[in-house]
Amino acid sequence: MTKRYVMVHDENKCIGCQACNVACRSENSTPDAVTRIQVRIEGPHGHYPDLHFKYHRVSCQQCENAPCVEVCPTGAAYVGDDGIISINKDKCVGCQYCIAACPYKVRFINPETRVPDKCDFCKHSRLAEGKQPACVSVCPTDALTFGDANDPSSDVAQLLDTRIHFQDKAHLGTKPRVYRIPGKRGGINQ
Amino acid sequence: MKLDRRSFLKGAGASTAGCALVATLPGTLAAFEQQSLKPVGSEVNSICEMCSTRCPISARVINGKNVSILGNAAAKSFGGAVCARGGAGHSLLYDPQRLVKPLKRVGERGEGQWQEIEWHEAYQLIAEKLNGIKQKYGAESVAFSSKSGSQHKYLFHLAHAFGSPNTFTHASTCPGAYKYAASAMYGGGVKRDLGGAKYIINFGHNLYEGINMSETRGLMKAQTKGKAKLVVFEPRFSIVADKADKWYPIKPGTDIAVALSLCHVLINDNLYDHDFVEKYVAGFDEFADEVKQYTPEWAERICEVPAADIRRIAHELAAAAPHALVDYGHRTTFTPEEFELRRALYAANVLIGNLERKGGLFFAKKAKTYNQFAGDDAAPTLGKPGVDGMPTITAKRIDQVDQQFAMTWSKGGVYQSILDAALESKPYQLKGWVISRSNPMQTMTDRARVVEAMKQMEFVVCCDLYVSESAAYADVILPESTYLERDEEIFDKSSKSPAYYVRQRVVETIGDTRPSWQIWQQIGHALGLGKFFPWETMESLQLVQTKKDAKLLQEIKRQGYISYGVPLLLREPSYVAKFQATHSKARVADEDGSYASALKFKTPSGKIELSSTKIETMAPGRGVIRYREVTLKQPNQLFFIQGKVAVHTNGATHNVPYLANLMNDNAVWINPITAGHMGIKSGDKIRLYNDTGEEHGVALVTPGIRPDTVFAYMGFGSKNKELARAYGRGVHCGNLLPHVISPVTGMSLHTAGVSVAKA
Ligand code: SF4
Ligand code: SF4
Ligand code: SF4
Repeated sequence: MTKRYVMVHDENKCIGCQACNVACRSENSTPDAVTRIQVRIEGPHGHYPDLHFKYHRVSCQQCENAPCVEVCPTGAAYVGDDGIISINKDKCVGCQYCIAACPYKVRFINPETRVPDKCDFCKHSRLAEGKQPACVSVCPTDALTFGDANDPSSDVAQLLDTRIHFQDKAHLGTKPRVYRIPGKRGGINQ
Repeated sequence: MKLDRRSFLKGAGASTAGCALVATLPGTLAAFEQQSLKPVGSEVNSICEMCSTRCPISARVINGKNVSILGNAAAKSFGGAVCARGGAGHSLLYDPQRLVKPLKRVGERGEGQWQEIEWHEAYQLIAEKLNGIKQKYGAESVAFSSKSGSQHKYLFHLAHAFGSPNTFTHASTCPGAYKYAASAMYGGGVKRDLGGAKYIINFGHNLYEGINMSETRGLMKAQTKGKAKLVVFEPRFSIVADKADKWYPIKPGTDIAVALSLCHVLINDNLYDHDFVEKYVAGFDEFADEVKQYTPEWAERICEVPAADIRRIAHELAAAAPHALVDYGHRTTFTPEEFELRRALYAANVLIGNLERKGGLFFAKKAKTYNQFAGDDAAPTLGKPGVDGMPTITAKRIDQVDQQFAMTWSKGGVYQSILDAALESKPYQLKGWVISRSNPMQTMTDRARVVEAMKQMEFVVCCDLYVSESAAYADVILPESTYLERDEEIFDKSSKSPAYYVRQRVVETIGDTRPSWQIWQQIGHALGLGKFFPWETMESLQLVQTKKDAKLLQEIKRQGYISYGVPLLLREPSYVAKFQATHSKARVADEDGSYASALKFKTPSGKIELSSTKIETMAPGRGVIRYREVTLKQPNQLFFIQGKVAVHTNGATHNVPYLANLMNDNAVWINPITAGHMGIKSGDKIRLYNDTGEEHGVALVTPGIRPDTVFAYMGFGSKNKELARAYGRGVHCGNLLPHVISPVTGMSLHTAGVSVAKA
């Protein structure tokens, strides 16, 4: 694998504004009824007045050990040499095993193409043109950082080297390539 | 590319849900047959219009069917970012429920019976009716109101040519007070350098939901890169409260007690900037005298914020000064005493001497000012189209009944006075109303009264993108082109240095819509006022602006946004040094390396007026900033407050497909303790009622709200079925807010008392 594309979501900086959600839609022509990415504002947790929200990015985690790829009988769900999990429309037979297998519940049937769909880090739209993923480009607070974690000088590598981070449902062993910097109660901590 | 309607809508990725419901509504895109989409260029730099911030955007047409809207990366403080509303522009463009043909009312007013007509018929009808009203009752009996921004100038020009002084923006229903307060104290508007601040005090200015891109980014930059401390006073746990170092759930309507008390501590504990006050401030002694009584202990009893905390915060603020600020807010409708509150917030800034310092407040540096300091033409200045022989209007404005509103007359007026004039002939009768992209049914208070006022009008014209709640009561609706289909004049976007930007078409016009500048010009011609509209095209107007410099115009259009020079803060030596290094003929700095001696104020005294004799003359007793008790609710009621969410803009976006998809309802926030007393659980249907009206909604039981308060996001609960995605969903806030005209500023009031019960 030459590149190892990862995304870092800083929950301190995220304001749950959904700009990423909307930009992803127009860039990837996602039909209204389905969503590749959403940021859920959860809470407030705690007891009045000591409260906090959680900002939870829900999108494909680009798992290193991807259950969706493992269960796919035709090889339609596949890993690119950049680590990004994609879907080959022509090979898909519509069995929906991958949807059932995804522990993050982020795969869906695209009502227009009738094929499973999900976030692919904009591989086929923006990355192909040498641009950052749509969600990263529009984020008002620069909460998202994207890049090649194999390159030690990249922003993502530096963030992962210097900041406390976690991955969603790490105990499942799926090894997500979406990393989160947890929000801390009591202000923003860089 | 030629597409029929079906494939066009499908290609645009538009939802088909809801189509059936509105397919019968004439004039909408769904009812419009042949259609083709023609991109104007592969990538166009333009200006957003999904809220009033108007961010610089960059739009691309993808695969000939989809428009992707991102921020214009050339606009540095905007960082190439765009919010959800901005990104959803194309969902508005292709919305089958959008209006694309002029409509004429055929049933009773507000009944929803419409007939498509041609533009020339609409113009003829409008000219006939308006000229008729003018003959019978005088031109002043027609009111003209518009969202401020690009459109209002053209509409107000028409009003002036027609002979009516009655022009209104939405200022008195939202931002007016902070502007009037700044004008009274500093002699003009100020801006905030959030990005450079080390300490920020915020009174419910929710910049993380009411997104103003450069300010939102500035605040985040201050908090992350600058490690600034943020203190938030707000009755609701908003996103900005969540991101704060400390959130105080302050009692609604009592912010002024904290603000005055901060000033008290700054003066009493000798923490204020003596030099600054001596040099630039008038009326300090009167103010100091007044705030003597406003101790933190006094404030604690009113606002329920611990006195010790207020004292500590004042000390922390002073320690961070001058690179610190007290945010003066945006929506200024918390209490009738907004003028006092906003002045008190500015006063705290004056005391810490943060004007024209990094992280403080500053004046915009437009080209003319900037060039004077630079000693050369660092930035081009814009020309203005002059129109000869505009009529002199002798009639008084309807809000010109009381001298205390003198500051509002030329700056947007008292919008609510339209209702008094229409319904009670106060001070005289209004008979006609021309509305451009303004939705008073949502943004004004007392919706029922707005309906009554519209019903009694002889003639109402609305220009809008949808059959908005207000447009539903018009006689004629004129469909405006969306901002993605409009060319407009060059706008000044100067901040710390001069900047210009321009709105440009991204796609060719869909359907039979027109830009509003053209609509008002053509109506001017129909009214026989053509001589007051000497420009023909937008290009000709733009060339007047660039003083016939076609190259400059092309450059602004190509880049979409251009800023000139380097940021300048007059009292910040490091900024002045950089400015001098950039501009070889720059003004010589003062001994301390700043331009402090050049600081001038357009007030009667030429200084910052902490207390003002001018205001004392306008509104006796109000020269000095003072606390006045207000009653916002009855003892057995709860406070009802509202706020903004990041995915919608107050009166405008709730029917836009993408955005309605994200959020189409506003559950009412209620504290678990309060809800427990009433046996209310999350998801329960509840009833909110008071003397103004009654609304039904759904409860959201959450600790993120004070026990004595309920909260709802604004703009939901549309009452007209033409807005099919928003109709009947959620609580309509304007239906619960009383009709109030606040002293001095003429602001409306968005804090009400309500009773809540299980429905
Ligand atoms: S755009 Fe950025 S701040 Fe907004 S929800 Fe997405 S990640 Fe969070
Ligand atoms: S998150 Fe789900 S869809 Fe994405 S790689 Fe992992 S298993 Fe597959
Ligand atoms: S990377 Fe692209 S596809 Fe994935 S969420 Fe972001 S914008 Fe959408």
